[in-house]
Amino acid sequence: MNRKFEARLINAGLVCSVILVLVFFYIPIFTLIMFSFKEGRILNLPFEGWSLRWYQQLFSNGEVGKAAVHSFVVAVASTLISTVIGLGAAQSFVRFSFRGKTLFQIVAMAPLVFPQLLLGVVLLLWFSVLGNTFDFSNNLFTAIMGHCVYLVPFTTIIIAVQAASFDPTLEQAAQDFGATPWEVFREVTFPVLWPGVFSASIFAFLLSWGNFYISYSLTGTERTLPTFVFSGMALGSTPLYPALATITFVVGLLLIVFAEGIRRRSLAKTMASPKE
Amino acid sequence: MSHSLEPSRLMVALHALPSVLLQSAFFVVPLCMTIALSFQETQYYQVQWVWSLTTWTEIFTTYYYWKILFNTVLMSLACVGLCAMIGFPIAYALVTRFQKWQATIKILLVFAFLTDAVLKTFGWVVFLDQTGPANFVLNFLGLPDLPDWVIYSRVSVLFGMVYTLLPFSIFTIYLSVDMIDKNLLRAAYDCGASKFRAFYEVTLPLCKNGLMAGALLVFVLSLGSFLEPKVLGGGKNPMAAELIRQTFETRINWPLGSALTIVVISITVITILLASRLLDLGQGRKK
Repeated sequence: MNRKFEARLINAGLVCSVILVLVFFYIPIFTLIMFSFKEGRILNLPFEGWSLRWYQQLFSNGEVGKAAVHSFVVAVASTLISTVIGLGAAQSFVRFSFRGKTLFQIVAMAPLVFPQLLLGVVLLLWFSVLGNTFDFSNNLFTAIMGHCVYLVPFTTIIIAVQAASFDPTLEQAAQDFGATPWEVFREVTFPVLWPGVFSASIFAFLLSWGNFYISYSLTGTERTLPTFVFSGMALGSTPLYPALATITFVVGLLLIVFAEGIRRRSLAKTMASPKE
Repeated sequence: MSHSLEPSRLMVALHALPSVLLQSAFFVVPLCMTIALSFQETQYYQVQWVWSLTTWTEIFTTYYYWKILFNTVLMSLACVGLCAMIGFPIAYALVTRFQKWQATIKILLVFAFLTDAVLKTFGWVVFLDQTGPANFVLNFLGLPDLPDWVIYSRVSVLFGMVYTLLPFSIFTIYLSVDMIDKNLLRAAYDCGASKFRAFYEVTLPLCKNGLMAGALLVFVLSLGSFLEPKVLGGGKNPMAAELIRQTFETRINWPLGSALTIVVISITVITILLASRLLDLGQGRKK
Protein backbone atom coordinates (compact mmCIF):
# COMPACT_ATOMS: atom_id res chain seq x y z
CA MET A 1 0.00 0.00 0.00
CA ASN A 2 2.72 2.38 1.06
CA ARG A 3 4.87 1.40 -1.89
CA LYS A 4 2.03 1.91 -4.29
CA PHE A 5 1.44 5.37 -2.90
CA GLU A 6 5.12 6.16 -3.22
CA ALA A 7 5.21 5.02 -6.84
CA ARG A 8 2.19 7.12 -7.61
CA LEU A 9 3.78 10.14 -5.97
CA ILE A 10 6.93 9.73 -8.06
CA ASN A 11 4.87 9.28 -11.17
CA ALA A 12 2.89 12.44 -10.50
CA GLY A 13 6.10 14.35 -9.69
CA LEU A 14 7.76 13.34 -12.95
CA VAL A 15 4.72 14.12 -15.07
CA CYS A 16 4.25 17.48 -13.37
CA SER A 17 7.91 18.43 -13.83
CA VAL A 18 7.67 17.80 -17.57
CA ILE A 19 4.52 19.89 -17.81
CA LEU A 20 6.14 22.69 -15.79
CA VAL A 21 9.22 22.69 -18.01
CA LEU A 22 7.04 22.86 -21.12
CA VAL A 23 5.19 25.82 -19.63
CA PHE A 24 8.56 27.40 -18.80
CA PHE A 25 9.73 26.95 -22.40
CA TYR A 26 6.59 28.39 -23.89
CA ILE A 27 6.02 31.42 -21.61
CA PRO A 28 8.06 33.87 -23.75
CA ILE A 29 6.70 32.37 -26.96
CA PHE A 30 3.06 32.76 -25.95
CA THR A 31 3.74 36.17 -24.46
CA LEU A 32 4.96 37.39 -27.83
CA ILE A 33 2.08 35.77 -29.71
CA MET A 34 -0.39 37.49 -27.39
CA PHE A 35 1.24 40.90 -27.71
CA SER A 36 1.34 40.71 -31.50
CA PHE A 37 -2.45 41.23 -31.49
CA LYS A 38 -2.33 44.28 -29.24
CA GLU A 39 -3.96 47.49 -30.41
CA GLY A 40 -1.70 50.03 -28.69
CA ARG A 41 1.96 50.57 -29.39
CA ILE A 42 3.45 49.98 -25.95
CA LEU A 43 4.20 46.43 -24.84
CA ASN A 44 2.37 46.35 -21.51
CA LEU A 45 -0.87 45.28 -19.91
CA PRO A 46 -3.80 45.82 -19.88
CA PHE A 47 -4.76 45.63 -23.55
CA GLU A 48 -6.71 48.53 -25.05
CA GLY A 49 -8.06 46.16 -27.64
CA TRP A 50 -7.13 43.53 -30.17
CA SER A 51 -6.07 44.29 -33.71
CA LEU A 52 -4.18 43.01 -36.69
CA ARG A 53 -2.65 46.35 -37.57
CA TRP A 54 0.90 45.34 -36.58
CA TYR A 55 0.77 42.52 -39.10
CA GLN A 56 -0.27 45.04 -41.73
CA GLN A 57 2.61 47.29 -40.75
CA LEU A 58 4.96 44.34 -40.80
CA PHE A 59 4.17 43.53 -44.41
CA SER A 60 4.48 47.14 -45.51
CA ASN A 61 7.74 47.71 -43.66
CA GLY A 62 10.65 47.80 -46.11
CA GLU A 63 13.31 47.28 -43.43
CA VAL A 64 11.66 44.08 -42.23
CA GLY A 65 11.29 42.86 -45.80
CA LYS A 66 14.95 43.48 -46.53
CA ALA A 67 16.07 41.76 -43.33
CA ALA A 68 13.79 38.82 -44.12
CA VAL A 69 15.26 38.46 -47.61
CA HIS A 70 18.77 38.56 -46.14
CA SER A 71 17.87 35.96 -43.52
CA PHE A 72 16.34 33.75 -46.19
CA VAL A 73 19.32 33.97 -48.54
CA VAL A 74 21.78 33.24 -45.72
CA ALA A 75 19.67 30.38 -44.36
CA VAL A 76 19.13 28.69 -47.73
CA ALA A 77 22.75 29.00 -48.83
CA SER A 78 24.23 27.84 -45.54
CA THR A 79 21.70 25.01 -45.29
CA LEU A 80 22.65 23.69 -48.72
CA ILE A 81 26.38 23.96 -48.13
CA SER A 82 26.35 22.58 -44.59
CA THR A 83 24.07 19.66 -45.51
CA VAL A 84 26.28 18.58 -48.42
CA ILE A 85 29.45 18.91 -46.34
CA GLY A 86 27.78 17.21 -43.38
CA LEU A 87 26.71 14.29 -45.58
CA GLY A 88 30.32 13.69 -46.62
CA ALA A 89 31.65 14.11 -43.10
CA ALA A 90 29.00 11.77 -41.66
CA GLN A 91 29.84 9.06 -44.20
CA SER A 92 33.52 9.31 -43.35
CA PHE A 93 32.68 9.27 -39.63
CA VAL A 94 30.60 6.13 -39.73
CA ARG A 95 31.75 4.05 -42.66
CA PHE A 96 35.36 4.76 -43.51
CA SER A 97 38.46 4.15 -41.51
CA PHE A 98 41.51 6.17 -42.47
CA ARG A 99 44.62 7.67 -40.97
CA GLY A 100 44.05 10.78 -38.87
CA LYS A 101 40.39 10.00 -38.37
CA THR A 102 40.42 10.96 -34.68
CA LEU A 103 41.92 14.35 -35.43
CA PHE A 104 39.39 14.79 -38.23
CA GLN A 105 36.54 14.00 -35.83
CA ILE A 106 37.81 16.40 -33.18
CA VAL A 107 38.20 19.29 -35.63
CA ALA A 108 34.88 18.55 -37.33
CA MET A 109 32.99 18.58 -34.01
CA ALA A 110 34.91 21.39 -32.28
CA PRO A 111 32.61 24.27 -33.31
CA LEU A 112 29.82 22.51 -31.42
CA VAL A 113 31.56 23.14 -28.09
CA PHE A 114 32.74 26.60 -29.04
CA PRO A 115 30.88 29.62 -27.68
CA GLN A 116 29.06 31.06 -30.66
CA LEU A 117 29.78 34.70 -29.97
CA LEU A 118 33.50 33.95 -29.81
CA LEU A 119 33.28 32.03 -33.07
CA GLY A 120 31.73 35.14 -34.57
CA VAL A 121 34.44 37.37 -33.13
CA VAL A 122 37.28 35.13 -34.27
CA LEU A 123 35.81 35.00 -37.79
CA LEU A 124 35.26 38.75 -37.75
CA LEU A 125 38.98 39.23 -37.17
CA TRP A 126 39.84 36.72 -39.87
CA PHE A 127 37.55 38.29 -42.46
CA SER A 128 38.84 41.76 -41.62
CA VAL A 129 42.39 40.62 -42.31
CA LEU A 130 41.29 38.83 -45.49
CA GLY A 131 39.20 41.84 -46.45
CA ASN A 132 42.20 44.15 -46.09
CA THR A 133 44.25 41.89 -48.29
CA PHE A 134 41.67 41.08 -50.94
CA ASP A 135 39.66 44.26 -50.59
CA PHE A 136 36.19 43.26 -49.49
CA SER A 137 34.07 44.05 -46.45
CA ASN A 138 31.76 41.85 -44.45
CA ASN A 139 28.56 41.00 -46.27
CA LEU A 140 26.11 38.17 -46.59
CA PHE A 141 28.80 35.89 -47.99
CA THR A 142 30.95 36.13 -44.86
CA ALA A 143 27.84 35.47 -42.78
CA ILE A 144 27.10 32.35 -44.84
CA MET A 145 30.61 31.00 -44.26
CA GLY A 146 30.31 31.67 -40.53
CA HIS A 147 26.94 29.93 -40.36
CA CYS A 148 28.37 26.92 -42.20
CA VAL A 149 31.18 26.48 -39.68
CA TYR A 150 28.58 26.49 -36.92
CA LEU A 151 26.07 24.24 -38.72
CA VAL A 152 28.26 21.48 -40.15
CA PRO A 153 28.75 19.67 -36.79
CA PHE A 154 24.95 19.58 -36.34
CA THR A 155 24.23 18.24 -39.83
CA THR A 156 27.10 15.75 -39.50
CA ILE A 157 25.75 14.28 -36.27
CA ILE A 158 22.17 14.03 -37.53
CA ILE A 159 23.17 12.34 -40.80
CA ALA A 160 25.71 10.11 -39.02
CA VAL A 161 22.91 8.71 -36.85
CA GLN A 162 21.06 7.75 -40.02
CA ALA A 163 24.23 6.38 -41.66
CA ALA A 164 24.97 4.19 -38.64
CA SER A 165 21.94 2.03 -39.42
CA PHE A 166 22.94 1.73 -43.07
CA ASP A 167 23.29 -1.77 -44.50
CA PRO A 168 26.40 -1.76 -46.77
CA THR A 169 25.32 -4.96 -48.55
CA LEU A 170 22.83 -2.80 -50.46
CA GLU A 171 25.69 -0.87 -52.01
CA GLN A 172 27.63 -4.07 -52.58
CA ALA A 173 24.68 -5.56 -54.43
CA ALA A 174 24.28 -2.51 -56.63
CA GLN A 175 27.98 -2.58 -57.39
CA ASP A 176 27.84 -6.25 -58.28
CA PHE A 177 25.11 -5.47 -60.79
CA GLY A 178 27.51 -3.11 -62.48
CA ALA A 179 26.48 0.26 -61.11
CA THR A 180 29.07 3.03 -61.23
CA PRO A 181 29.97 4.70 -57.89
CA TRP A 182 27.83 7.70 -58.80
CA GLU A 183 24.87 5.44 -59.65
CA VAL A 184 25.32 3.59 -56.36
CA PHE A 185 25.23 6.89 -54.51
CA ARG A 186 22.25 8.23 -56.44
CA GLU A 187 20.12 5.09 -56.44
CA VAL A 188 21.04 3.44 -53.13
CA THR A 189 23.03 5.50 -50.65
CA PHE A 190 21.23 8.81 -50.93
CA PRO A 191 17.64 7.46 -50.84
CA VAL A 192 18.46 5.45 -47.70
CA LEU A 193 20.12 8.41 -46.01
CA TRP A 194 17.45 10.85 -47.19
CA PRO A 195 15.39 11.08 -43.95
CA GLY A 196 18.54 12.00 -42.01
CA VAL A 197 19.61 14.43 -44.68
CA PHE A 198 16.19 16.01 -44.68
CA SER A 199 15.96 16.50 -40.91
CA ALA A 200 19.53 17.79 -40.90
CA SER A 201 18.64 20.41 -43.48
CA ILE A 202 15.51 21.52 -41.61
CA PHE A 203 17.56 21.74 -38.42
CA ALA A 204 20.25 23.72 -40.20
CA PHE A 205 17.73 26.04 -41.83
CA LEU A 206 16.05 26.92 -38.54
CA LEU A 207 19.34 27.33 -36.67
CA SER A 208 20.62 29.63 -39.39
CA TRP A 209 17.36 31.54 -39.70
CA GLY A 210 17.32 32.26 -35.98
CA ASN A 211 21.04 32.73 -35.57
CA PHE A 212 21.98 35.93 -33.82
CA TYR A 213 25.47 35.44 -32.44
CA ILE A 214 27.32 34.80 -35.69
CA SER A 215 25.27 37.15 -37.85
CA TYR A 216 25.83 39.90 -35.28
CA SER A 217 29.55 39.86 -36.00
CA LEU A 218 29.60 38.94 -39.66
CA THR A 219 26.77 40.52 -41.62
CA GLY A 220 28.44 43.93 -41.83
CA THR A 221 25.82 46.51 -42.77
CA GLU A 222 23.31 43.97 -44.08
CA ARG A 223 20.97 43.07 -41.26
CA THR A 224 19.22 39.73 -40.84
CA LEU A 225 15.99 39.35 -38.86
CA PRO A 226 17.58 38.44 -35.50
CA THR A 227 20.03 41.34 -35.64
CA PHE A 228 17.18 43.60 -36.77
CA VAL A 229 15.10 42.57 -33.77
CA PHE A 230 18.07 42.96 -31.46
CA SER A 231 18.69 46.56 -32.50
CA GLY A 232 14.95 47.27 -32.40
CA MET A 233 14.65 45.96 -28.84
CA ALA A 234 17.03 48.60 -27.61
CA LEU A 235 15.03 51.47 -29.10
CA GLY A 236 11.82 50.77 -27.21
CA SER A 237 9.68 48.46 -29.18
CA THR A 238 6.19 48.11 -30.59
CA PRO A 239 4.05 45.01 -31.23
CA LEU A 240 5.70 44.95 -34.66
CA TYR A 241 8.38 42.65 -33.24
CA PRO A 242 5.95 40.22 -31.57
CA ALA A 243 4.05 40.05 -34.88
CA LEU A 244 7.28 39.17 -36.65
CA ALA A 245 8.02 36.60 -33.94
CA THR A 246 4.59 34.99 -34.32
CA ILE A 247 5.07 34.45 -38.05
CA THR A 248 8.52 32.97 -37.38
CA PHE A 249 7.03 30.60 -34.79
CA VAL A 250 4.29 29.35 -37.08
CA VAL A 251 6.63 28.68 -40.00
CA GLY A 252 9.20 27.02 -37.74
CA LEU A 253 6.69 24.73 -36.10
CA LEU A 254 5.25 23.70 -39.48
CA LEU A 255 8.73 22.85 -40.79
CA ILE A 256 9.56 20.73 -37.73
CA VAL A 257 6.27 18.83 -37.86
CA PHE A 258 6.80 18.27 -41.58
CA ALA A 259 10.33 16.90 -41.00
CA GLU A 260 9.10 14.60 -38.24
CA GLY A 261 6.35 13.33 -40.53
CA ILE A 262 8.86 12.46 -43.26
CA ARG A 263 11.12 10.74 -40.73
CA ARG A 264 8.27 8.63 -39.38
CA ARG A 265 7.02 7.69 -42.83
CA SER A 266 10.44 6.42 -43.83
CA LEU A 267 10.77 4.60 -40.50
CA ALA A 268 7.44 2.87 -41.13
CA LYS A 269 8.61 1.98 -44.63
CA THR A 270 11.83 0.33 -43.47
CA MET A 271 9.93 -1.53 -40.76
CA ALA A 272 7.39 -2.80 -43.27
CA SER A 273 9.68 -3.64 -46.16
CA PRO A 274 10.93 -7.10 -45.03
CA LYS A 275 7.37 -8.39 -45.10
CA GLU A 276 6.80 -7.46 -48.71
CA MET B 1 35.44 -6.70 -43.75
CA SER B 2 33.53 -8.51 -46.43
CA HIS B 3 30.34 -6.61 -45.80
CA SER B 4 31.85 -3.18 -46.22
CA LEU B 5 33.02 -1.40 -49.33
CA GLU B 6 36.76 -0.96 -49.27
CA PRO B 7 36.99 2.80 -49.60
CA SER B 8 39.45 4.08 -52.13
CA ARG B 9 41.56 7.09 -51.17
CA LEU B 10 39.62 9.16 -53.63
CA MET B 11 36.31 8.21 -51.97
CA VAL B 12 37.54 9.16 -48.52
CA ALA B 13 38.97 12.43 -49.78
CA LEU B 14 35.77 13.25 -51.62
CA HIS B 15 33.72 12.75 -48.46
CA ALA B 16 35.98 14.20 -45.78
CA LEU B 17 37.83 16.95 -47.61
CA PRO B 18 35.08 19.58 -47.89
CA SER B 19 34.58 19.52 -44.15
CA VAL B 20 38.34 19.57 -43.51
CA LEU B 21 38.77 22.54 -45.83
CA LEU B 22 35.87 24.48 -44.30
CA GLN B 23 37.00 23.91 -40.72
CA SER B 24 40.63 24.70 -41.49
CA ALA B 25 39.98 27.85 -43.47
CA PHE B 26 37.27 29.26 -41.23
CA PHE B 27 37.96 27.75 -37.83
CA VAL B 28 41.50 26.51 -37.21
CA VAL B 29 43.40 29.19 -39.11
CA PRO B 30 41.30 32.09 -37.72
CA LEU B 31 41.87 30.70 -34.25
CA CYS B 32 45.62 30.62 -34.79
CA MET B 33 45.50 34.16 -36.11
CA THR B 34 43.61 35.28 -33.01
CA ILE B 35 46.39 33.84 -30.87
CA ALA B 36 48.98 35.66 -32.96
CA LEU B 37 46.99 38.88 -32.78
CA SER B 38 46.99 38.81 -28.99
CA PHE B 39 50.77 39.26 -29.06
CA GLN B 40 50.62 42.47 -31.11
CA GLU B 41 50.39 46.08 -30.04
CA THR B 42 47.80 48.71 -30.72
CA GLN B 43 48.14 52.42 -31.28
CA TYR B 44 45.45 54.95 -32.21
CA TYR B 45 42.94 52.15 -32.71
CA GLN B 46 45.24 50.49 -35.24
CA VAL B 47 46.91 47.14 -34.83
CA GLN B 48 50.69 47.45 -34.99
CA TRP B 49 52.25 44.21 -36.13
CA VAL B 50 54.98 44.25 -33.52
CA TRP B 51 55.44 41.19 -31.37
CA SER B 52 55.10 42.09 -27.71
CA LEU B 53 53.66 40.97 -24.41
CA THR B 54 52.02 44.30 -23.54
CA THR B 55 48.48 42.99 -23.89
CA TRP B 56 49.10 39.93 -21.80
CA THR B 57 50.77 41.96 -19.05
CA GLU B 58 47.74 44.24 -19.04
CA ILE B 59 45.40 41.26 -18.73
CA PHE B 60 47.28 39.62 -15.90
CA THR B 61 47.53 42.85 -13.94
CA THR B 62 43.99 44.17 -14.37
CA TYR B 63 41.73 43.12 -11.55
CA TYR B 64 38.58 44.16 -13.47
CA TYR B 65 39.01 41.51 -16.20
CA TRP B 66 39.51 38.75 -13.68
CA LYS B 67 36.47 39.87 -11.73
CA ILE B 68 34.35 39.54 -14.87
CA LEU B 69 35.91 36.20 -15.80
CA PHE B 70 35.34 34.91 -12.29
CA ASN B 71 31.74 36.11 -12.41
CA THR B 72 31.28 34.37 -15.77
CA VAL B 73 32.65 31.05 -14.52
CA LEU B 74 30.53 31.30 -11.37
CA MET B 75 27.35 31.99 -13.35
CA SER B 76 28.18 29.15 -15.74
CA LEU B 77 28.69 26.72 -12.88
CA ALA B 78 25.37 27.74 -11.36
CA CYS B 79 23.76 27.26 -14.77
CA VAL B 80 25.31 23.79 -15.10
CA GLY B 81 24.00 22.78 -11.69
CA LEU B 82 20.49 24.01 -12.39
CA CYS B 83 20.38 22.45 -15.88
CA ALA B 84 21.50 19.07 -14.57
CA MET B 85 19.05 19.19 -11.68
CA ILE B 86 16.12 20.11 -13.92
CA GLY B 87 17.27 18.18 -17.00
CA PHE B 88 17.71 14.81 -15.34
CA PRO B 89 14.16 14.26 -14.06
CA ILE B 90 12.78 15.59 -17.34
CA ALA B 91 14.89 13.26 -19.47
CA TYR B 92 14.15 10.36 -17.14
CA ALA B 93 10.42 11.07 -17.28
CA LEU B 94 10.51 11.37 -21.07
CA VAL B 95 12.02 7.90 -21.41
CA THR B 96 10.05 6.11 -18.73
CA ARG B 97 6.66 7.86 -18.81
CA PHE B 98 4.62 9.45 -21.61
CA GLN B 99 4.57 6.55 -24.03
CA LYS B 100 1.77 8.15 -26.00
CA TRP B 101 2.81 11.77 -25.80
CA GLN B 102 6.54 11.30 -26.11
CA ALA B 103 6.76 12.26 -29.80
CA THR B 104 4.66 15.40 -29.30
CA ILE B 105 6.67 16.51 -26.28
CA LYS B 106 9.91 15.95 -28.16
CA ILE B 107 8.67 18.08 -31.05
CA LEU B 108 7.65 20.82 -28.61
CA LEU B 109 11.10 20.73 -27.00
CA VAL B 110 12.93 20.77 -30.34
CA PHE B 111 10.83 23.69 -31.51
CA ALA B 112 11.53 25.67 -28.34
CA PHE B 113 15.21 24.92 -28.80
CA LEU B 114 15.38 25.90 -32.48
CA THR B 115 13.49 29.16 -32.09
CA ASP B 116 15.39 32.41 -32.49
CA ALA B 117 17.24 33.21 -29.24
CA VAL B 118 16.71 36.94 -29.60
CA LEU B 119 12.96 36.51 -29.83
CA LYS B 120 12.84 34.23 -26.78
CA THR B 121 14.91 36.63 -24.69
CA PHE B 122 12.73 39.47 -25.89
CA GLY B 123 9.68 37.46 -24.85
CA TRP B 124 11.07 37.17 -21.32
CA VAL B 125 11.71 40.90 -21.13
CA VAL B 126 8.13 41.61 -22.13
CA PHE B 127 6.82 38.97 -19.75
CA LEU B 128 8.80 40.13 -16.73
CA ASP B 129 8.34 43.85 -17.36
CA GLN B 130 6.93 46.02 -14.58
CA THR B 131 3.57 46.28 -16.37
CA GLY B 132 3.86 42.90 -18.08
CA PRO B 133 2.02 39.59 -17.70
CA ALA B 134 4.11 38.30 -14.75
CA ASN B 135 3.07 41.10 -12.43
CA PHE B 136 -0.43 41.09 -13.88
CA VAL B 137 -0.88 37.44 -12.90
CA LEU B 138 0.71 38.00 -9.48
CA ASN B 139 -1.56 40.96 -8.76
CA PHE B 140 -4.54 39.01 -9.98
CA LEU B 141 -3.74 36.35 -7.39
CA GLY B 142 -3.49 39.06 -4.75
CA LEU B 143 0.30 38.93 -4.53
CA PRO B 144 2.72 41.86 -4.68
CA ASP B 145 4.85 42.71 -7.74
CA LEU B 146 8.04 40.85 -8.54
CA PRO B 147 10.78 42.18 -6.27
CA ASP B 148 13.53 44.33 -7.76
CA TRP B 149 16.16 41.65 -7.52
CA VAL B 150 14.34 39.44 -10.00
CA ILE B 151 14.55 41.47 -13.18
CA TYR B 152 17.69 43.16 -14.51
CA SER B 153 19.79 41.28 -12.02
CA ARG B 154 21.94 38.18 -11.79
CA VAL B 155 18.84 36.15 -11.04
CA SER B 156 17.20 37.01 -14.33
CA VAL B 157 20.45 36.46 -16.22
CA LEU B 158 20.82 33.00 -14.71
CA PHE B 159 17.17 32.36 -15.43
CA GLY B 160 17.70 33.25 -19.10
CA MET B 161 20.84 31.12 -19.34
CA VAL B 162 19.05 28.09 -17.93
CA TYR B 163 16.22 28.74 -20.35
CA THR B 164 18.57 28.81 -23.35
CA LEU B 165 20.78 25.88 -22.38
CA LEU B 166 18.38 23.46 -20.68
CA PRO B 167 17.52 21.71 -23.98
CA PHE B 168 21.17 20.69 -24.44
CA SER B 169 21.17 19.10 -21.04
CA ILE B 170 17.80 17.38 -21.57
CA PHE B 171 18.83 15.97 -24.98
CA THR B 172 22.18 14.54 -23.86
CA ILE B 173 20.78 12.99 -20.68
CA TYR B 174 17.79 11.66 -22.63
CA LEU B 175 20.10 9.81 -25.02
CA SER B 176 22.02 8.17 -22.19
CA VAL B 177 18.88 7.13 -20.27
CA ASP B 178 17.30 5.85 -23.48
CA MET B 179 20.31 3.65 -24.23
CA ILE B 180 20.11 1.76 -20.93
CA ASP B 181 19.37 -1.89 -21.51
CA LYS B 182 16.04 -2.54 -19.80
CA ASN B 183 17.13 -6.11 -19.04
CA LEU B 184 19.66 -4.75 -16.55
CA LEU B 185 16.83 -3.19 -14.57
CA ARG B 186 14.81 -6.38 -14.80
CA ALA B 187 17.81 -8.31 -13.50
CA ALA B 188 18.09 -5.90 -10.59
CA TYR B 189 14.40 -6.39 -9.75
CA ASP B 190 14.79 -10.16 -10.00
CA CYS B 191 17.58 -9.97 -7.47
CA GLY B 192 15.13 -8.27 -5.15
CA ALA B 193 16.20 -4.65 -5.56
CA SER B 194 13.59 -2.01 -4.79
CA LYS B 195 12.79 0.66 -7.37
CA PHE B 196 15.02 3.15 -5.57
CA ARG B 197 17.85 0.69 -5.23
CA ALA B 198 17.66 -0.20 -8.92
CA PHE B 199 17.66 3.49 -9.78
CA TYR B 200 20.73 4.26 -7.68
CA GLU B 201 22.70 1.16 -8.58
CA VAL B 202 21.80 0.75 -12.26
CA THR B 203 20.19 3.78 -13.87
CA LEU B 204 22.21 6.56 -12.29
CA PRO B 205 25.70 5.09 -12.89
CA LEU B 206 24.79 4.21 -16.47
CA CYS B 207 23.76 7.73 -17.36
CA LYS B 208 26.74 9.31 -15.66
CA ASN B 209 28.38 9.88 -19.03
CA GLY B 210 25.27 11.59 -20.38
CA LEU B 211 25.10 13.81 -17.32
CA MET B 212 28.77 14.70 -17.67
CA ALA B 213 28.52 15.39 -21.41
CA GLY B 214 25.46 17.55 -20.85
CA ALA B 215 27.16 19.45 -18.04
CA LEU B 216 30.23 20.01 -20.18
CA LEU B 217 28.20 21.29 -23.13
CA VAL B 218 26.16 23.62 -20.93
CA PHE B 219 29.25 24.94 -19.15
CA VAL B 220 31.16 25.67 -22.33
CA LEU B 221 28.22 27.31 -24.07
CA SER B 222 27.24 29.38 -21.05
CA LEU B 223 30.74 30.87 -20.90
CA GLY B 224 29.78 32.61 -24.14
CA SER B 225 26.41 33.95 -22.95
CA PHE B 226 25.88 37.40 -24.34
CA LEU B 227 22.19 38.06 -24.94
CA GLU B 228 21.09 37.14 -21.42
CA PRO B 229 23.47 39.44 -19.50
CA LYS B 230 22.96 42.20 -22.03
CA VAL B 231 19.18 42.08 -22.36
CA LEU B 232 17.97 40.46 -19.13
CA GLY B 233 20.82 41.72 -16.96
CA GLY B 234 20.50 45.34 -17.99
CA GLY B 235 24.28 45.54 -18.37
CA LYS B 236 24.88 45.71 -14.63
CA ASN B 237 26.80 42.45 -14.29
CA PRO B 238 28.74 42.11 -17.53
CA MET B 239 30.00 38.67 -18.45
CA ALA B 240 33.02 37.70 -20.52
CA ALA B 241 31.35 37.70 -23.94
CA GLU B 242 30.04 41.22 -23.44
CA LEU B 243 33.45 42.42 -22.27
CA ILE B 244 35.02 40.94 -25.40
CA ARG B 245 32.47 42.52 -27.73
CA GLN B 246 33.00 45.87 -26.04
CA THR B 247 36.76 45.61 -26.38
CA PHE B 248 36.37 45.16 -30.12
CA GLU B 249 33.46 47.51 -30.68
CA THR B 250 33.92 50.49 -28.39
CA ARG B 251 37.55 50.32 -27.41
CA ILE B 252 38.61 48.99 -30.83
CA ASN B 253 41.51 47.19 -29.18
CA TRP B 254 42.02 44.07 -31.26
CA PRO B 255 44.99 42.56 -29.42
CA LEU B 256 43.26 42.94 -26.07
CA GLY B 257 40.01 41.49 -27.43
CA SER B 258 41.90 38.59 -28.96
CA ALA B 259 43.74 37.91 -25.73
CA LEU B 260 40.49 37.90 -23.74
CA THR B 261 38.98 35.56 -26.31
CA ILE B 262 41.97 33.25 -25.90
CA VAL B 263 41.54 33.30 -22.12
CA VAL B 264 37.90 32.18 -22.39
CA ILE B 265 38.77 29.55 -24.99
CA SER B 266 41.56 28.26 -22.73
CA ILE B 267 39.07 27.81 -19.90
CA THR B 268 36.88 25.86 -22.35
CA VAL B 269 39.69 23.63 -23.58
CA ILE B 270 41.02 22.92 -20.08
CA THR B 271 37.53 21.97 -18.91
CA ILE B 272 37.04 19.64 -21.86
CA LEU B 273 40.42 17.97 -21.30
CA LEU B 274 39.74 17.53 -17.58
CA ALA B 275 36.29 16.13 -18.29
CA SER B 276 37.53 13.63 -20.87
CA ARG B 277 40.21 12.53 -18.40
CA LEU B 278 37.52 11.99 -15.76
CA LEU B 279 35.29 10.07 -18.14
CA ASP B 280 38.17 7.83 -19.23
CA LEU B 281 39.04 7.10 -15.61
CA GLY B 282 35.48 6.07 -14.93
CA GLN B 283 35.46 3.73 -17.89
CA GLY B 284 38.83 2.26 -16.94
CA ARG B 285 37.61 1.36 -13.50
CA LYS B 286 34.60 -0.46 -14.86
CA LYS B 287 36.79 -2.69 -16.98
